[in-house]
Amino acid sequence: MKLTELFQRGEFVVTAEVGPPKGFHIDHLLHEADEYLKGRVHAVNVTDNQSSVMRLGSLATCKALKDRGLNPIFQMTCRDRNRIALQSDILSAALFGIENLLCLTGDHTTLGDNPQAKPVFDLDSVSLLHMVKKLESGEDLAGNPLEGDAPKFSKGAVVSPCSDSVDVQLAKMEAKVKAGAEYFQTQAVYEPEKFIKFMEKAKQFGVPVQLGIVIPKNAGMAKYMNANVAGISVPDSMIEELQKDKEKTKAGITGIEISARIIKECRPYCQGVHIMAMGWESKVPDILAQAGI
Amino acid sequence: MEDYTKFRLKGKEELTPVLADKDNLFVLACNKCFKEFELAEEPECGKFEAIAGAQGKTLVGSAKVDFLCNKTTTAKKLQALLPKEAENVFVISCGLGIQTIADLAEKPVYAASDSIAYRGRHGMALTKTRCDACGQCYLNLTGGICPIVDCSKSLVNGQCGGAKNGKCEVNKEMDCGWQKIYKKMEEQGRTQELLNQPLQIRDYSKINYKFISEYVKSVREKRFEGYYGGIHPSERKELAEHLSLVKFPDVHTVVIPLSMHAGAPAEPIVAVGDQVKAGQKIGEAKGVVSANIHSSVSGKVIAVEPRLHATNGNVLSVVIESDGKNTLHESVKPAGDLDSLTPEQIIDIVRGAGIVGMGGAGFPTSVKIKPPKPVDTVLLNGCECEPLLTADHRVMVEFADDVIFGLKALLKASGAEKGIIAVEDNKPDAVEILRSKTADMANIEVVVAKTKYPQGAEKMLIKRVLGRAVPSGGLPADVGAIVSNISTVKAVSDAIQRGLPLIERVVTVTGERMKTPGNYIVKIGTPVKELVDYCGGVTSDDVTIKMGGPMMGFELSNLDVPVMKGTNGIIAVEPVCSEPYSCIKCGRCADVCPMELKPLYFTKYAGTQNWQGFKEQSVMDCIECRCCETICSSKLPIVNMIKIGKKAIREGK
Amino acid sequence: MLITQLKQKDAIETLAKGKTVIINCHGCKEVYFPEEEAAELQKELSARGDVTEIITRDYICNPDNLCFQLQKFMDKINAADTVLVFSCGVGVQTVAAFLENKRVFAGCDTCPLPGFQGVTPLEFDCGQCGECYLNYTGGICPITACSKSLVNGQCGGSKNGKCEVDKNMECGWERIYRKLEKLNKLDTLKFQTKVRDYAKPFKDSQNAD
Repeated sequence: MKLTELFQRGEFVVTAEVGPPKGFHIDHLLHEADEYLKGRVHAVNVTDNQSSVMRLGSLATCKALKDRGLNPIFQMTCRDRNRIALQSDILSAALFGIENLLCLTGDHTTLGDNPQAKPVFDLDSVSLLHMVKKLESGEDLAGNPLEGDAPKFSKGAVVSPCSDSVDVQLAKMEAKVKAGAEYFQTQAVYEPEKFIKFMEKAKQFGVPVQLGIVIPKNAGMAKYMNANVAGISVPDSMIEELQKDKEKTKAGITGIEISARIIKECRPYCQGVHIMAMGWESKVPDILAQAGI
Repeated sequence: MEDYTKFRLKGKEELTPVLADKDNLFVLACNKCFKEFELAEEPECGKFEAIAGAQGKTLVGSAKVDFLCNKTTTAKKLQALLPKEAENVFVISCGLGIQTIADLAEKPVYAASDSIAYRGRHGMALTKTRCDACGQCYLNLTGGICPIVDCSKSLVNGQCGGAKNGKCEVNKEMDCGWQKIYKKMEEQGRTQELLNQPLQIRDYSKINYKFISEYVKSVREKRFEGYYGGIHPSERKELAEHLSLVKFPDVHTVVIPLSMHAGAPAEPIVAVGDQVKAGQKIGEAKGVVSANIHSSVSGKVIAVEPRLHATNGNVLSVVIESDGKNTLHESVKPAGDLDSLTPEQIIDIVRGAGIVGMGGAGFPTSVKIKPPKPVDTVLLNGCECEPLLTADHRVMVEFADDVIFGLKALLKASGAEKGIIAVEDNKPDAVEILRSKTADMANIEVVVAKTKYPQGAEKMLIKRVLGRAVPSGGLPADVGAIVSNISTVKAVSDAIQRGLPLIERVVTVTGERMKTPGNYIVKIGTPVKELVDYCGGVTSDDVTIKMGGPMMGFELSNLDVPVMKGTNGIIAVEPVCSEPYSCIKCGRCADVCPMELKPLYFTKYAGTQNWQGFKEQSVMDCIECRCCETICSSKLPIVNMIKIGKKAIREGK
Repeated sequence: MLITQLKQKDAIETLAKGKTVIINCHGCKEVYFPEEEAAELQKELSARGDVTEIITRDYICNPDNLCFQLQKFMDKINAADTVLVFSCGVGVQTVAAFLENKRVFAGCDTCPLPGFQGVTPLEFDCGQCGECYLNYTGGICPITACSKSLVNGQCGGSKNGKCEVDKNMECGWERIYRKLEKLNKLDTLKFQTKVRDYAKPFKDSQNAD
């Protein structure tokens, strides 16, 4: 099912994210997806060598999820493949019946576990979206015709609403929309007021936006993200909340409460939510329940 | 010669939409680099103007500039070039120039050209050989043929399957790089070595952004330390810097030229057969810019005749046969302490003692310390920025009190309030001694400057230490300063405290081809040959002997010349031989010229005797430091050409 | 612009086999040549092995100059088993081409610096992309000022205006945005999606491979 169709129907679209393992055994991943996500979310994102750490491929994992009856979102970054490989993989995704793409630039190679690798970046997120659109029109990026029917995807992109340079992000968002982005998932939001302000400006593009949620596991993680992760800032009050009752936080209850609260606050301003559980997939049902979804 | 020009005008179809909503254009073009230097119009200004004109755009002006990416020189020019009414600046240059202008100009800046790419980077000479700067040189595995540049796929483990008849699949004109490598290794009998090579995996993180950005920062700081330009020649001071001063043994005969200074030669006041004593005046200064000459020994005048001089051919000299006694002349007596002397008295003593700048220029010190304008600072040049030389260094270490005394004398004579001793950071022992000895002197400061040549040049030193720029054609006094050399103030001290005129000086005898280097206190008039012989002679026939340092010293073809007041060193070094090639506009001369000139033009103008061109490029500002010539990638004798130009202008051409 | 760094000492030691002639190039020393480190290492090599000559010249990338400068050393070079060159990759290749039958080795690795040859290392760099983007970016180069050379805007990796690759490096696209903002030209960013043409720079350059 294409996410765009869900948005058109006026659904509050719920997605979650899974990260493939560093190896080819995905029983655990599939089990968790079955147990906690199936029937609760509209679609499941599969990350593409997230943080430049080499893992099982996103495309193969998408296929495995699809076979289990889940609706996968194929995440594609420009870090590891040139335009030939990217286009080829997009066609492969079409063959597997994968209908949703999320187009990203990707973290730099030097940040991952194979820092000696050649960073490709032949394209970037914007030109990747543009290229998907071209494939959908029946020709490749260079203008050569495709055989048979053209593939059709729901094309997603990302944006950081709480970035310290939100104006620059908005400019990029506009470029992505122009290039073909049909929906957006955001970087983790911890400051609803910032998100709401952002959405007031992003409204003009007329493209649905899913609020991004990363479940805060503990104060240490929040502090780490503040120091190191782009586009994220966890307010001090939230860090205090995480520190107050360590046992509660450890059990995941604080994280669930915070996540649900943010969703509730932001829900009137956006068209969906995207939960990045990072191993806490089991908490997704509780969050959704508490948020009233 | 390859043409590595790095940009070309964008096409009309691309420029037209960029121009669409812009008017009142100013066009700035870079005169191209890395190509044969012709004086013809090089950038494609005309073509751009035609495209803009066809769209009905108003051109408010245009300019062509050399080395647009040289931010320092471009910034100085841009202000004057850019008219107020210019709204949009279009730059015809490579990406470096465009970015430089975009950074400097307050107005919107647009690119009218594209940079041309080459795989890899060329060397300074314009040949086809290139390097991709992969940070992990593979040449040792491949017989000196680069697999990164010479293979289209930059393969590092051998040929791909795409070569046909030894040609590359990408370009049939191109030899397969790996085929070349294999052949070369085969010819050298290294096939097995090639086959046994372990698997290579390229590490793209070797080109580390952080390292490079920090490196750029450090090089730029080094380059602009204190003043623009300059170079860092190999110092080689370790040969002599640790060697204490030794009094050079008496020689039998001294030859004392009557011209060892700037200005008119002195007139001889002794005749053949006269008995003279050490310190006795034997030549009388003729006019204000001239200097007295004294005997450095006691003995008999055996000739007053032209004798070979290090720089001026044959010069009238007084030849004295020493009696070996060194009896001092009765005029040699202490003049008292500084407090008891008036500024005028100090100047008289200095003049009487025949003291001239001992750094080489030989300008009479008595004139210098009585400047036409008030000065606030006396700068003592303890940089000794010439490689190899260590004479001033030793004087600072061993005669620190005399140096300080001399500085105080100059302060009193000139009326300046502050004395600064500038020492380069390669002489920490001198810095330490001078600092400890001047610690309680409020008006004397020791400044440490990072080593860079030609830091000791007056104008550079003033800029570096005082941050003041001596105007073109001006003197240090114009910015309130006097610059003096270390040995010179030592001589001033000797003249006041001992009553000794300038009859001896410290000379470094050194160089990698000098057998036993040393620092000697040498009597003026001592033949260079005696110095060289005393130091064990040279170690090879393949040698150049110079009076002075390797940068500004004079080559001596005959060692039968005397040590003079300005002789700070005798060096024996490996000869520099070179053949001049055509100028390729690499811009390095302009990059290192401390006077911010563009020496490449002089090489061009000398050929056509374009004296007007010399003037326009401010040739008279050249201090002949030879930075340009040293760095010239085409080995052009730039300073000789500059001298020709200066001479022609002085002759009124 | 090229800079040279010494290879690992043990790697160099294994190269200097038999009678060895060393050639140093100081042509780009004002840019970078590890002069003191090289001298130190060569002293050690001389003490241990059979270094028959150490030649220090400049601009050995000029084959005419190289030939001229080596003239008086040719006997020693001919008798040598190995010629070890301390220079950038261009210099080593020039020596290897000139001394066709000699084992010519590189003692250095070569790294790039911003700015082209002959120009002082600059704060600006040009990637010679052949399709200058500066008109869209307020004169700040997205190819060289952005770690990923992105041409359609900022990636999500910058934090506090700094690049994800190096926290000391300003995000190029952030700079571009601020510059255009200052010039009141933010509309410039509304350009058609850019797709780089990697063939372009080589297509019509006369020296193209």
